[in-house]
Amino acid sequence: MDYIFRNTLGPAAWTAIGLVLPAIFALYFLKLRRTPLEVPSTYLWHRVIEDLRVNSLWQRLRQSLLLLLQLLLVLLAMLALLRPGWQGQRLEGKKFIFVIDNSASMNTEDADDATRLDAAKQQVAALVDQLESDMSAMIVTFSDRPNLAQEFTDNRRLLRKALERIEPTARQTEIRGALELADGFANPEKVIVEENGPAFDAAAPEPVELFLFSDGRFGPVEGFSLGNLKPKYLPIGSPESENLAITAFNTRRSENSVNERQAFVQIANASSQDTSAEVVVTLDGTLLDAADVDCPAGQSTSYTFRLGEVASGVLQAKLTAPAAFKDALDLDNTAYAVLDPVRDTRVLLVTPGNTTLEIALNTERTQRLAEIKVVTPEELKQEELKRQIQAEVFDLIIYDQYAPEQMPPSNTLFIGRIPPLPGWQEESGKEPVFGPQIIDWQRSHPLLNLVELGNVQIIDTIEVDPPPGGTILIDSTKGPIAAIAPRGAFEDAVLGFELVGVDQEGNVNVNTNWPRSFSFPNFCLNTIEYLGGASQLRDSSFRPGKSVELNLVGVEKEVTITLPDGQQRERQRPEKGKFTFHETDQLGIYEVTSGGKTVRRFAVNLFDREESDVPLRVRQDDEDKVQTVESLSIGYVDVDAAQRESPARKELWQWLLVAVLAVLVLEWYIYNRRVYV
Amino acid sequence: MPTAPESELLTPALLNQLERLELVTRKIFRGQLKGERRSKRKGQSVEFADFRNYVAGDDLRLLDWNLYARLDKLIIKLFQEEEDLHFYTLIDASMSMDFGDPSKLQYAKQLAAAMGFIGLVRADRVRIETLGQQARERTPVLRGRHNVWRMLEQLENIEAGETATLAEGVKNFCLRNSGRGIVLLLSDMMDKSGYEQALRYFMSHDMDCYVIQILSQEELEPDVKGDLKLVDCEDADEAEITVSAPLLARYDRTLKAFTGGVQEFCNRRGMNYLLANTQTPVEQLVAQHLRRRGLVR
Repeated sequence: MDYIFRNTLGPAAWTAIGLVLPAIFALYFLKLRRTPLEVPSTYLWHRVIEDLRVNSLWQRLRQSLLLLLQLLLVLLAMLALLRPGWQGQRLEGKKFIFVIDNSASMNTEDADDATRLDAAKQQVAALVDQLESDMSAMIVTFSDRPNLAQEFTDNRRLLRKALERIEPTARQTEIRGALELADGFANPEKVIVEENGPAFDAAAPEPVELFLFSDGRFGPVEGFSLGNLKPKYLPIGSPESENLAITAFNTRRSENSVNERQAFVQIANASSQDTSAEVVVTLDGTLLDAADVDCPAGQSTSYTFRLGEVASGVLQAKLTAPAAFKDALDLDNTAYAVLDPVRDTRVLLVTPGNTTLEIALNTERTQRLAEIKVVTPEELKQEELKRQIQAEVFDLIIYDQYAPEQMPPSNTLFIGRIPPLPGWQEESGKEPVFGPQIIDWQRSHPLLNLVELGNVQIIDTIEVDPPPGGTILIDSTKGPIAAIAPRGAFEDAVLGFELVGVDQEGNVNVNTNWPRSFSFPNFCLNTIEYLGGASQLRDSSFRPGKSVELNLVGVEKEVTITLPDGQQRERQRPEKGKFTFHETDQLGIYEVTSGGKTVRRFAVNLFDREESDVPLRVRQDDEDKVQTVESLSIGYVDVDAAQRESPARKELWQWLLVAVLAVLVLEWYIYNRRVYV
Repeated sequence: MPTAPESELLTPALLNQLERLELVTRKIFRGQLKGERRSKRKGQSVEFADFRNYVAGDDLRLLDWNLYARLDKLIIKLFQEEEDLHFYTLIDASMSMDFGDPSKLQYAKQLAAAMGFIGLVRADRVRIETLGQQARERTPVLRGRHNVWRMLEQLENIEAGETATLAEGVKNFCLRNSGRGIVLLLSDMMDKSGYEQALRYFMSHDMDCYVIQILSQEELEPDVKGDLKLVDCEDADEAEITVSAPLLARYDRTLKAFTGGVQEFCNRRGMNYLLANTQTPVEQLVAQHLRRRGLVR
């Protein structure tokens, strides 16, 4: 009964109200002393009354209509005082933070045709309706970054407006920022320090209710203290939702034929039933290939399409689930990829002779990525080559045991030499040092990706110190021995130690055992991919919401970017360095044009298994076989999912009061015009 | 023409209007005195009727001497006889007649005065009585225009408060007045013992009977509300009602049935019936409704 009615009055008040009913009865019977009225004759009246006696019960009721209305009025008022309502619990507390997930997975349409975000908004709206005048609330949304939709306010209109403004995104989920934002508001760390006195908090800690509306597509939040926040997790969505998603889509050259291209599609089935999906690959809208791909439940499968010799264009893979399969999330059913003309990375290797390096640059893999030209320092003096270098024909120039007089307009890798630039020259050591032991290296840098330098021995090296803005790649007991630093639109990497060197006598000596380990060819590959820009060409797909760096050297200053929905953005290309574009919230193909020519195209795809895995995670309790939604782990606290009920309590008392008013008006009307009723 | 007497009951305008009217009866009755009314009998008037041969015993004054001179025959010239008419007005002066604004009794008096005036002007025998009069208690018969003031005086002396029932009053009236003529019954007919017996007395006396049922606006469309205890002013009988629209609708139906019943009773027996609302001006009632009914012309 507590669920339906909520008592608002004490026993004394109820007694007083209870006395109203007998009072009305008493008053009614007192009133029934009829007014005597003298009439010429009761002759006709008697005949009228005799007729009426036939259906006297109804007449009696009709006669006491006013009494009934008064009783109804009091009963309605009493019912209103009981505050009848249904579904939900009361909002308790003074301050509330509504944290709403608007990541890609919240676009999922569960059983009813509303998205999860809509459901969450609806629930928050219901909670906002329940706010009382002394309560304030704040709305925070989060996807891969938090967003403060509305600061603390007790203005429900503002809250509702803020709620309406929340738009779905295609981004990933990262709750930490939102929690930190909420924490910043909930736990103000203002400290007042008096002279020679103890410090104390300026704001009294006030518990804040944190309502988290999410489908839980994120991992545990570690090292976060909730403080005054009292979290409440309201899972949105259904454990039974089904989804098919393209989680990867890229193209590469065929292993067998250099000119042939392949498209690789990975499909994830986030449901508990095996199914098959139709995948259609189109190029600029024309059908290239289609396939029926079997997708086992809960797993992902891949399929490779042979595209033949296609030059360029926009590839689109579209997945269609069978009719029996209710694909809940549409965002991830289409994937885009940009096919650029096959253009090799051009690498110029300037070396007096280095077989080790040449072999490492000649692997099958690097051949597919780059076209490598080897010249000696003497040949570099040829006019033809000089012109090619100035015309930026080469993406990467590797200087082995040689330093040019001036830097070329391309990325460079110096081996055993320091670039002829003031920044490098001043900082670095002039003389070789012997026997450096490698202490540490930047494993996260793309150049040293999957490169293990643990047992690399080096005989001698030059100490390498990059100019400001550079990064030390390898550190040794004798100081840094490898570094990378930007130079305008280019980057220069320097290895302080030679691979092979030529001593005073002209003998070729091995300076390091690195080329013998597996990590060396990896390093060469990384160099070609990173410095040669091969990786950028190959991978033109980005995540929504992430900023995209574009190397727009050699295009005009005015750049126009066309978004997938056709909107255009005018931007200025920066003088130096890379162009960064941030508005990547839409999925699809972005086209960069400059001077009427398409300069670059890139695709933004969801490609996130976590976001596409839409069913709510459930935990099976062994004892009673009840499925409960998995709880969230925030800091050291497990936040249990609240019961799957709407937290909104719908109350009737306002309507009851309106009804009371209506009955009152009706009673007044009947009293005054009762003759006609 | 004599000036009309000033009275509450008769206004000069009404008198002017009434001067032009006369009482009519569908039955032709024998009057006692010579009046202004054409009779069945041939007699003395200015209006020529017929000739016939003289027989012994005829009044010699009626001989047409011109014919005698021309034809040498005794021919009597017959003229249309003009007679007077008995015009009785019987007023119900019970307590119930004292209701309404103007009260029903006042209305009845006005009507009686108007009709009586017409009768007096046309030299009819006018007698005004009330239902409460005893069988032996007689009121004078009035005749001639100069008796208007006496009639009005008599009317003004009538006061509500008589207790006789309708049937009783009519019976006494019939006992007192054997002469046939027009009788005008002014009553609300609200008698708990019924009106049928009363009307039958008129039948037996072969009178040209006009029943005018006078009801006040309060009775026709009662303006009451709330919980009421209705008290009958005559016998203090009580009726408790709670006024509601259905109750009023039912009252309306009952009233219509009642008046309709009286009307049908009268029509079947050759009487004239008229329902008068006290809100209808007397002159309108006389000039329109009664003229249409054929009581006056």
